[in-house]
Amino acid sequence: MTTSIDTATPGVATEPTPQPTLDTLDEAHLASQSRDTGEPSWMADRRQQALSTWSGQSWPDRKQDEFWRNTPFARLVDVGRPLITGADHDGDHTVELAVGVVDHLDAPAATVTIVDGDLLDVRVDQSWADQGLVVVGLRDAAAGPWAGIVSEHLGSLTTTGHGSGADEDRTISANDAAWDAGVFVYVPAELEVKAPIGIQAHVTRPGVHQPRILVKAEHHATARVVLEHVGGDLGDVERTSRVKAPAVVNEVVEVIARDSAQVDVVSVNEHGDDVAYLALQKAAVHRDATVRHLSVTLGGATVRIRPEADLVGPGASAVYSGIYFTDEGQHFDVQPYMRHLAGHTTSNVLYKGALQGDSRTVFRGNVFIHKDAKGSDTQEDNRNLILTKGARADSTPFLEIECADITAGHGSATGQIDARNLFYLQARGIERADALRLIVLGFFNEVLDRIDMPVVAARAQAAIEGEIAMTDLDRVTVSEVAPNTPD
Amino acid sequence: MAELEIRDLTIRVDGSDILNGVTLDLEKGKTLALMGPNGSGKSTLAYAIAGHPAYEITGGQILFNGEDIADWTPDERNRAGVFLAMQYPVEVPGVSLTNFLRTAVNARLDEDKPVREFMGDLRTAMSDLQIDESFLQRSVNEGFSGGEKKRFEILQMALLKPQIAVLDETDSGLDVDALRVVSEGIDSLRGPDLGVLVITHYTRILRYVTPDEVHVMLDGRIVASGGPELADELEDHGYEHYVVSA
Repeated sequence: MTTSIDTATPGVATEPTPQPTLDTLDEAHLASQSRDTGEPSWMADRRQQALSTWSGQSWPDRKQDEFWRNTPFARLVDVGRPLITGADHDGDHTVELAVGVVDHLDAPAATVTIVDGDLLDVRVDQSWADQGLVVVGLRDAAAGPWAGIVSEHLGSLTTTGHGSGADEDRTISANDAAWDAGVFVYVPAELEVKAPIGIQAHVTRPGVHQPRILVKAEHHATARVVLEHVGGDLGDVERTSRVKAPAVVNEVVEVIARDSAQVDVVSVNEHGDDVAYLALQKAAVHRDATVRHLSVTLGGATVRIRPEADLVGPGASAVYSGIYFTDEGQHFDVQPYMRHLAGHTTSNVLYKGALQGDSRTVFRGNVFIHKDAKGSDTQEDNRNLILTKGARADSTPFLEIECADITAGHGSATGQIDARNLFYLQARGIERADALRLIVLGFFNEVLDRIDMPVVAARAQAAIEGEIAMTDLDRVTVSEVAPNTPD
Repeated sequence: MAELEIRDLTIRVDGSDILNGVTLDLEKGKTLALMGPNGSGKSTLAYAIAGHPAYEITGGQILFNGEDIADWTPDERNRAGVFLAMQYPVEVPGVSLTNFLRTAVNARLDEDKPVREFMGDLRTAMSDLQIDESFLQRSVNEGFSGGEKKRFEILQMALLKPQIAVLDETDSGLDVDALRVVSEGIDSLRGPDLGVLVITHYTRILRYVTPDEVHVMLDGRIVASGGPELADELEDHGYEHYVVSA
């Protein structure tokens, strides 16, 4: 996208009272914002309800909360940043928006552009709209004919709901209370929207950005959502500490896949170095429905992403995959959670990461199998490739199983490039650097092969190539070379 | 002058000396068989020629076209024209066979062969070795049977057109039909521009790929050399005779 937009000049306060931060949410502010944006009273009430949850919580503590054990929230997330305010169109500050995968989608059914907490643009292809596809701002949806659906599902998977999200941490109640740009996607029963729905969220200014997305696919509906995060190279913005990014993106995505629906969610994160990105992307998967989720995590200083599925109906299935690639100074924490709550549900989880420089990844893969989930099947795998010394990958699969009659497998491996692979390719005339490139791309191909979206796969591949190009290939360490045969 | 000259070569692996002074010449147009029991050092010689980093040259020389190649990386050796068909080819996950072969061919021939031309050559070579086209969709060696891996090694040899090819136990693990296909494939590549070193434990591959010379290795040394008839003697008497006399 080449659109230039006007935004407020950074650092110039225009509000008479200081904008609350993530740490100082308050009732009056939320109420006035609900009023100013014309939110229905039930939505304003729900924000207040979330605020009271938030008030009773403290920020995640690695010593108290095992899900935060490997990500020091207090050190990495700047809760003192103000909530982002909508772009000030009277200002003369213009920014060029980054171009991403959403800009290259082939004949999208809809595209949405979010900039700094503002819903800048929503376009829906007319023929899809005529067939009943709805892609609209969440506030508009709540005030219009979809109010009932929004009211039923918004927050149904988080703290304000009664499901598995009821004991969520404070990052989630903060979004429940003070989300800014919201998107509502609705696919009516039996409508198969195979064309992608692209949502692109841009960060061009420091502060706290809290996108909120609700997707509902009715029975036998199909939806493919590409959610992309870009921007976040903010230049000279003062930091409160070296590792605290000045922009915080705290996102919640809820996906409701009704009976036999097919929903794909592809989440591409190419944030710049000035962003800490926290995301809960959670689906409720009903009878015989399938949700496939792919996360491509390449950017951001700190990333903690939670791709989750509640398999609530018999025969529901979740296929969750992801790739991540860290370089110097990055900290990525990936925590898929599969909850098998009904019989004959299946989950297949595969995440692969590569690390270089002084960087860190955390993978915590959780699977819960309820006592009623007889005949369920889960397979969970995580593989990490350490390219250069100094990088560290933690990988822990957690299985909590209440039911005996199930099939569960998991695997986790972290290692260096296999010297045997390198020798084999080199013995075929391929130079070390090219051989390393082939091996790393090959490592990720198993995951990328799982999505049949050529644009996304090509983008991911190009991004991986970009990461490899940054790698000092001379510094890449390989596994210890062993003789190939005893003879 | 032979293209490949091994001069009094000693090799250390994991701290032990495996080759204890091996001398061998291989010139283009010739086929040599190197035979010996398990553990005699045959594969060690093969990996040392190919430049495997775990095989340390502690004495002697490997000369290729008169140049000492001790400091050459494995890829430099291959690009110069030295090819090793491995006994246990490794799987390279996620790397497509087509992409791999094209990268290798371009590297060896130092040119960017047009895709059409490359695919034409590839299909011909695959058909000669009775490799199904469905393999083009697969990753390098991934999920291949033993026989398929060996065919794939010879396929690479056909495409990379080496001057010197070392075939390390290419016949092992092959059933009779596969042995015939692979051996005929090797035989068809032989000619005045290719020298072949066939490393084997058994004589059966030599019925298809008749050697000009046969050398017997034992305890890291060549203990006997002769013509093709030496292979038949080994078939009849085994290696015990040499164990006693060595």
